[in-house]
Amino acid sequence: MSNFKDAQNKAHPNKTNTLMSALIVILILNVSMQIWLLYTGLNNALGQNRDIALPAFIASLVLFLIGFFWLYFLPMGYRKNKKK
Amino acid sequence: MSDQTEKEPNWKQDFPIERTQSTKVSRRDFARFLCLVSGGLAAGSAYVAVKANFFPPEEVKGEHFVCKAMEVPLGGTRSFVVEGSNIPYILIRLEDGNWRAYEQKCTHLSCAVYYKPGSGQIVCPCHEGFFDAMTGEVLAGPPPRPLPALEVLLNGDDVYVKAASPGHNKNITLKT
Ligand code: FES
Repeated sequence: MSNFKDAQNKAHPNKTNTLMSALIVILILNVSMQIWLLYTGLNNALGQNRDIALPAFIASLVLFLIGFFWLYFLPMGYRKNKKK
Repeated sequence: MSDQTEKEPNWKQDFPIERTQSTKVSRRDFARFLCLVSGGLAAGSAYVAVKANFFPPEEVKGEHFVCKAMEVPLGGTRSFVVEGSNIPYILIRLEDGNWRAYEQKCTHLSCAVYYKPGSGQIVCPCHEGFFDAMTGEVLAGPPPRPLPALEVLLNGDDVYVKAASPGHNKNITLKT
């Protein structure tokens, strides 16, 4: 059985390096959006405007989940073949 | 020659990762760390949402006596606290005779603000934040929100404050 991971592990380092950079850029993007959401939610909550806090939290959670499952695509680097 | 060369050097035991693999180690860890930060931010937002919806900040209840009107000259101020809370407030008697009361904590980073006599402005010395003394609105500087206000009531010569009535964030105008 093989899945995309095996193929990915055999890919040329240039390829996985690019992939890794792309993943990290997306994660940084997610985190910046979350910072903004937290800032906005907090500001509005303190300013007696409570309706923003919940949607901001939901959006933040979705972004976190995206980032979390994103990690699955992280290239593993070259594994020594442990079987054998 | 010696068995020195045959034995793996110590650093290899500490960092048992092959060269080809090693270029990815730090970036993998960095990506995981970013994910952790992301989780932390989501948790922070959850905290804000829970706090905002289920534990709203307490309103000042009832009317509270501050001082006698004659104790505060025109353009003068007086700081006070309301019974049962330790939030500092500032009472201002503007030059045109209006009374205003605001929280004395800057909405930026909670520095103590003061009224600048004659200017109609409340100033935060920390990062040069300016508020309109009539309304509490931000005029300039980094503060993101207007100063929370209390309503000032005059009862003869006594000055009272109470929570600003909902939907009406501005203090009522009282002439003396
Ligand atoms: S704390 Fe008041 S302007 Fe920064």
